[in-house]
Amino acid sequence: MHSRHAGLTYIVPAFALLGLVLFSPVFYGFWFSLFRIQYGAPTDFVGLDNFVRLLDDPTLGGTLSRSTVFTVFAVLFTILIALALSVWIHKLGEKRGFIVQMIVIVPWIISTVVATLLFRWVFVNDIGLALSLARMAGFNDIRLLNDPTSAMTLLIAVSVWKRIGYAVIILLAGLKSIPDDYEEAALIDGANSWQIFRRITLPLLKTPLLLVAIVLTLSNLNTVETPLVLTGGGPGNATRILPIEVFDRAFVNYDLGSATALALVMFLGNILLVLAYVRLAKWKT
Amino acid sequence: MLRRIALSMVLAGTMAAAIPAYAQQTQVRMWTFLNPAGTTPREVALKTIIENFEKANPDIDVVVEPQAWDQMTPKFLAANNAGNAPDVIWVVTDFLGDAIKSGSLASLNDLFIKDWSEEQVADRAGAYWDLTNVDGVQHALFTSRNYISIVYRKDFFDEAGIDPASITTWDEFLKAAEELTVKDSSGQVTRYGFVQGFSENQADPPMMIPYMLGKGAELFNADGTANFASPEGVEALTFQTDLIKKYNVMPEAAVSWTVDDVYEQFASGRAAMILGASVRVSTLQSQLDKDKVGMMLWPGSGDMAHSPAVMAGWAVGVWSKSPVQEQAGKFVDYMLGPDGDKLWVEEGGQSPGLVSTLEGLGDFPQQPGNEYLQVVSEGSAKYGWLAPIDFSIGGYRQSLNKAAQAVVVNGTDPQQALEDAASEFDRANNR
Repeated sequence: MHSRHAGLTYIVPAFALLGLVLFSPVFYGFWFSLFRIQYGAPTDFVGLDNFVRLLDDPTLGGTLSRSTVFTVFAVLFTILIALALSVWIHKLGEKRGFIVQMIVIVPWIISTVVATLLFRWVFVNDIGLALSLARMAGFNDIRLLNDPTSAMTLLIAVSVWKRIGYAVIILLAGLKSIPDDYEEAALIDGANSWQIFRRITLPLLKTPLLLVAIVLTLSNLNTVETPLVLTGGGPGNATRILPIEVFDRAFVNYDLGSATALALVMFLGNILLVLAYVRLAKWKT
Repeated sequence: MLRRIALSMVLAGTMAAAIPAYAQQTQVRMWTFLNPAGTTPREVALKTIIENFEKANPDIDVVVEPQAWDQMTPKFLAANNAGNAPDVIWVVTDFLGDAIKSGSLASLNDLFIKDWSEEQVADRAGAYWDLTNVDGVQHALFTSRNYISIVYRKDFFDEAGIDPASITTWDEFLKAAEELTVKDSSGQVTRYGFVQGFSENQADPPMMIPYMLGKGAELFNADGTANFASPEGVEALTFQTDLIKKYNVMPEAAVSWTVDDVYEQFASGRAAMILGASVRVSTLQSQLDKDKVGMMLWPGSGDMAHSPAVMAGWAVGVWSKSPVQEQAGKFVDYMLGPDGDKLWVEEGGQSPGLVSTLEGLGDFPQQPGNEYLQVVSEGSAKYGWLAPIDFSIGGYRQSLNKAAQAVVVNGTDPQQALEDAASEFDRANNR
């Protein structure tokens, strides 16, 4: 049993299971995308035609740039606000810190559809609480979802609100893992709060920050529920991002060939993004 | 120790006795958007139907797997290829052609229609029957028949002294919408005359469709390409968006509203008339009051008293590869047969699928709050439009809503907006 292959026999079942669950859908999807799909079934082999059709779609460029804008701003704002919140919560006492933490986490732990609907009902609907109060205050013509810019801003805001809880948890765990000795030593050396944060805290948060950035990027890039429930992609194409495009191709137009091709391109993009992040951060385990 | 052994033996004996009884039951899986555990009238009706059927057929266990309505049919087609589709499926009209052409629906003639008398077949005759009958083979039967026209607040009409029956032209419709629009002392609209949603999410067929059809235009060409940008289409879109931009009888916020947003506005008294579905009337009545919700036909054009409304519904079929086709067919036959149909009407508030049901209801449709059933019956018989099934039309409602958004939000010319919508629809459907 002490042969060189003994270890292999232990990990093969786990890898086989992982391969089946994680990778087989990708391979099946790729195989699927090489065929003309009729009534949900692959018929004629068309090679890369479904991918070429994506290039021929004049609207896809706009969808890609809107996805980039949405993801970049949503991730950036989530990390900045979560970082500030985490540092604040870290400095609060145990009880108060716990209460604030719970409040921040609530949007994250409820389902995305429910959270988005709640946001819509309270803040956006004209019979909702926020707009009713705004009307009472004399602001009558607030129609956030009618203007392309404010609709996209709102979509980003909902995404930040929904995911900030996750980022706070990870960053807070990172902050708690930094030994107090470092801060004390820096204080003795005469460093001020900003210098301690900039030179000690932030570098030691590199790993949790990278993790948060990767997870947030992927979840924003692939979210379909939030834009679908909040804006439906409108007005016009203002909030039409890639996941909605995949959803519509698959479930509205029932064009499973191009939907699968687009989903695969997105999958490849996700992998490249993760690799780029890791390389940029020069992450070492 | 002895007590434990004795208890185990008793339990084992009980289970052994129970297993054969359970094993004798055949399970029939059904996908629908209705949840029998729910409380809406249609869900209550479905629950009763299943209970009655299982009581009469103790060897069959009907298991409902509720689905999201807008994804259910594509998911069924995918499941058909994967070999794990449900035994009974509710197919949405937009994808009915795909479902039939894919061969995923069994012949109901072979399952139970072969045993029907001529009178039973005649009892179902009509546009819905014809739509699901291809080359003499019946692939599905319609239920939850949906007639999409104007749902209105009776109390607001009474207050304004307007008779819904008097609205037979688009000008009269506009005049009524203006009279029903209410403003507060600061000039803010507190109730709109007419509301429909223009979101691409959960899109109902917009008002411009009956307007176009009433003017004699077709929505699609014979090859399946969009015919949205016809002169009638441009006129219809202009009228529809002018309700917001020019006449202020519909809120601008409606460009982002879904179907459910519109029903919320209606239930909260913020809209006097909405574009609504007949299948939702019973739910609205249960929320408001039976006497407060009514339904009327679309206004007409020229010689046509009323413009055709989009008729939809759910075509219920049996999966062609189901291992329990016989039992599944038996359930479909019951669910949409005379007993089931009566329950759909009386408990579910649906319009009847059988002529005999309507006749057997006596004065039920005349009772207060049930008058909409007569409107739907008349509309379905004389002023209805069913989407073609020769080609896939998925996304047409979304495309038309996007055109309306472009006109209202960006000020796009209606002709241009419809041309853009048509080319997007054609491209998305590979035409």
